[in-house]
Amino acid sequence: MAGMVQDTELVRLAQAGDAKAFEALVVKYQRRIARHVARYLKAAGDVEDVVQETFIRAYRGLASFRGDSAFYSWLYRIATNTALTHLERNPGEVLLGDEAPEERLDAFEPGVSDAEDPERTLFAKQIAETVQRALAKLQPELAEALMLYEVDGKPYAEIAGMLGIPIGTVRTRIFRAREFIARRLEPVLEPQRPRRW
Amino acid sequence: MTLKVSLLLDSQLTPGDAKAALGEVVADARLRDRYTVYALVGDVLRGNSTPDDGFSARIFERMRREGARIEPGFDPLKDE
Repeated sequence: MAGMVQDTELVRLAQAGDAKAFEALVVKYQRRIARHVARYLKAAGDVEDVVQETFIRAYRGLASFRGDSAFYSWLYRIATNTALTHLERNPGEVLLGDEAPEERLDAFEPGVSDAEDPERTLFAKQIAETVQRALAKLQPELAEALMLYEVDGKPYAEIAGMLGIPIGTVRTRIFRAREFIARRLEPVLEPQRPRRW
Repeated sequence: MTLKVSLLLDSQLTPGDAKAALGEVVADARLRDRYTVYALVGDVLRGNSTPDDGFSARIFERMRREGARIEPGFDPLKDE
């Protein structure tokens, strides 16, 4: 998948003490890690707590990351261990087995999983709908490049080969697609701007 | 510059360019916003439909509150 790139430079900068580089990695992977943790835990508060703990442990242990695997793979393993440790220490919260993990996963959306907060749920829905509408209006060649990267997880070089275009064109198509969608998301996201990174 | 933000997110920059781009992103709220929204777009397309409603900000706040720092010798894959 797209996130399976090595993240070499951001990791190297973070290891050298650049906290903002680590924050950029958090922004990039927070939802993927939350979705993974939600396979183990049900309560949104527990998921968020474990996600926070995962990133804190990763930061503390950055020096031990040698780059033998992708950063996301390392983070994924830390998240798994942290979730399992949480379950061991809170046996009353053990939920594994009481329903299928994929069912829990489908029901979970970090930050919007609170069923008592319909406003947040609506907000997430608005975002998803805006992205889908923008995608439908995108030039097909831009949408194709973006989907191959983000959804199919193809690396830039492979996309270039598949589409028969230079890798520089892949870069600009993915960027233009993101920018097109981002502009349409701006009015939807505006209320939350002060709370973002 | 927003092209570089997109390339930074995808780890497509050379070491020198990545460092420079990160510096510019950190210093410019508009670029930080773009980085965040580009990441959000990818998550939505993959089915992780979530607003960035302070989720990451709460992670950073807890890291600051707990004084998280890089600890040589700490293995995050082992229990404490």
